[in-house]
Amino acid sequence: MSDKRTSVKDALFEPPGPKTRRVIRIATVVSLAAIAALLWVVLRRFYETGQLDARYWSVFTRWTTWRFLGKGLLGTLEAAAVAGVVAFTAGFLLMVMRISGNRILGYISTALIEFTRGVPTLLFIYFFFLVVPKFGIKLPAFWKVCLPVSISACGVVAEVLRSGVNAVPKGQKEAAQSLGMLPHSVFLKVVFPQAFRFVIPALISELVIVVKDTTFAYVVNFPDLMQNAKVLISNYDALLSVYLVVALIYIAINWLINRASVAAAGRTNRYAVPAGKKQ
Amino acid sequence: MSDTMHETMNDRTPVIELKHVDKHFGSLHVLKDINLSVQKGEVVVIIGPSGSGKSTLCRTINRLETIDSGEILIEGTKMPQEGKELARLRAQIGMVFQSFNLFAHKTIIDNVILGPMDVLKKSKKEAKEEAMQLLSRVGVDSQANKVPAQLSGGQQQRVAIARALAMHPKAILFDEPTSALDPEMIGEVLDVMTKLAREGMTMLVVTHEMNFARRVASRVIFMDGGSIVEENTPEEFFNHPKSQRAQDFLNSIQAH
Amino acid sequence: MGIKELLSQYGDQYIQALFTTWKLTAFSFAIAFVIGVAVTVMRISPVQPLRVFAEIYIQIFRNIPGASLLMLLVYALPYLDVLLSYFVCVLIAASLIPSAFCSEYLMAGINTIGTGQIEAARSLGLSFMQIIRRVVIPQALRSSVLPLTNLLVSTMLTTALASQVPMNPRDLTGLVAHINTHAVGGVTAFLISALLYCATAVVIGQVGNMIDRKVRILR
Repeated sequence: MSDKRTSVKDALFEPPGPKTRRVIRIATVVSLAAIAALLWVVLRRFYETGQLDARYWSVFTRWTTWRFLGKGLLGTLEAAAVAGVVAFTAGFLLMVMRISGNRILGYISTALIEFTRGVPTLLFIYFFFLVVPKFGIKLPAFWKVCLPVSISACGVVAEVLRSGVNAVPKGQKEAAQSLGMLPHSVFLKVVFPQAFRFVIPALISELVIVVKDTTFAYVVNFPDLMQNAKVLISNYDALLSVYLVVALIYIAINWLINRASVAAAGRTNRYAVPAGKKQ
Repeated sequence: MSDTMHETMNDRTPVIELKHVDKHFGSLHVLKDINLSVQKGEVVVIIGPSGSGKSTLCRTINRLETIDSGEILIEGTKMPQEGKELARLRAQIGMVFQSFNLFAHKTIIDNVILGPMDVLKKSKKEAKEEAMQLLSRVGVDSQANKVPAQLSGGQQQRVAIARALAMHPKAILFDEPTSALDPEMIGEVLDVMTKLAREGMTMLVVTHEMNFARRVASRVIFMDGGSIVEENTPEEFFNHPKSQRAQDFLNSIQAH
Repeated sequence: MGIKELLSQYGDQYIQALFTTWKLTAFSFAIAFVIGVAVTVMRISPVQPLRVFAEIYIQIFRNIPGASLLMLLVYALPYLDVLLSYFVCVLIAASLIPSAFCSEYLMAGINTIGTGQIEAARSLGLSFMQIIRRVVIPQALRSSVLPLTNLLVSTMLTTALASQVPMNPRDLTGLVAHINTHAVGGVTAFLISALLYCATAVVIGQVGNMIDRKVRILR
């Protein structure tokens, strides 16, 4: 029956006949062999260059190593959380300016959104690292990471929030107005809470970008995970292994955040999501 | 088992024949020992409650659904399981879907000529001329250069019929062709189907439109719970249903 | 330093830097697209190991920070006796990360087609390759114009990684860092680069919108 719909990904290949099944079996074996060969080549390279030696990996048997990396990770998460909050606040303000109906505010907001979306985070970091101090402003390293990262993200947040607001059916606003609610309370109590629910998954995904951007903290010497990894490397002779492990930690964290985003999307789907909301 | 069946083919060889077809979806037995044949020029209408397996049956005929056991024969040739042979036989059996399934990125005319050009290797000119004739036959020739989303559901479904006809099929399968349509558009699609039937097209139609079955069908097949429960002429079936299940079904739809 | 002085002293370098950023962006995006297509083919193939491999690839390069990947390429690979030029390292980092997103967007494009059209094509007797060529690719490409436009912009932003390694000529970000550590570039030096990035992003966005309006599929 028609209720047994599969995804396009699986529908592209129809259920195989005997000949196709044989081809798939052969392809499976060949691809397994190829992947194994690839792994073998990589491992062999590690072995031949001595990178599998215990001395490169013994760092990780030490409790202090993990505590140090853990501290760095805490720094990363702290910076990401604060940058996330700042980006959300700034993004919310930009969004309100843009939909305010005031022409001038709208232009300013659009310009700022385009500007923050079109400039790399690293350039903002250099701005706070090299340019700002020349005006005699001494910011702690923490803010030299958080501010540029949040500036870089706020434009995207503004656009995400706006798409959410646009997705709230007009009738909701009209119904609230007909109850005699004032415009700002219509927006804050009726429209925005719904809009926010629609865009939770997109906001969580943006958090991944924030986490990634905080890795530039080493530029300003803020002790995040990456910076602590560099310290570890300068103390022990274990560059490759440390960078590899740190990369895996980042991948794991961002993967978890993405999973949360997918789960949130599943939850928000329960509220009827109007068509055409996804960008 | 062999392809030499061609030579033994005669007028009595059914266009479509199912022998002892069984199919499961997991633990669900959706088709139970189905035996069915459709002769040339016949209009066979399958009715039954939803979940009875009628759509699945229809989709097995051109192998959009696989079967677990049994045989499906097209003019005496066993339906191949894959490859060019399967594609060749599919090209000879048209299909019209519940949700139209027009190609969203192509204009109406391009929807109709895709098969003739890519499968039958006709020239664009020839394919276009014929496509225009078919479109005017189903009454949507004025929409030829629009894209599907610009057409009403009824118009889209008529285009889908034209697309199937452009392949000069030996038979056309209709899988609930009016179920996704607004009530006022059902008539225009049924009219086209009635006209086709009168012109002698071999058709297998899964539908809930009892009036269509009554007026147009050469034979009505009633399915329930994955099996064919009753098979008869429309007059006999609607006036004197033999099985209790068919009686219940007919009562339940008359109640509405 | 005033803008006149800045431009007379560094004008040429800004132009060079702009071209370096453009070049890195164009090359990276082209490589990312090719890899993205290849990975997508693996993901939709009926061969299970390829699917798993592609899925792992996507998860790695979606989630690894650019800095982390660049460090591995620049500083860790030499320990495996793999020596790449700085330019190539940046190019690889700026290609692999967008390639994962490219595949995600293509998959999304493929998923909007719906199984119905594929079944319709199949029932017309089209072969697998014909369905891919005539139905799947045209629709997937046309509905990924906007995501791919955004990807091109984010690829450009990723190429700022070039500022983290010594390169000659420098990219737009590297040049600002250079000017500000060697002279008093101030806000102006930063703004020139920022505006060049922005202008490029806006132009890409406009062109993308134009193409999208032309090829968008009504649904």
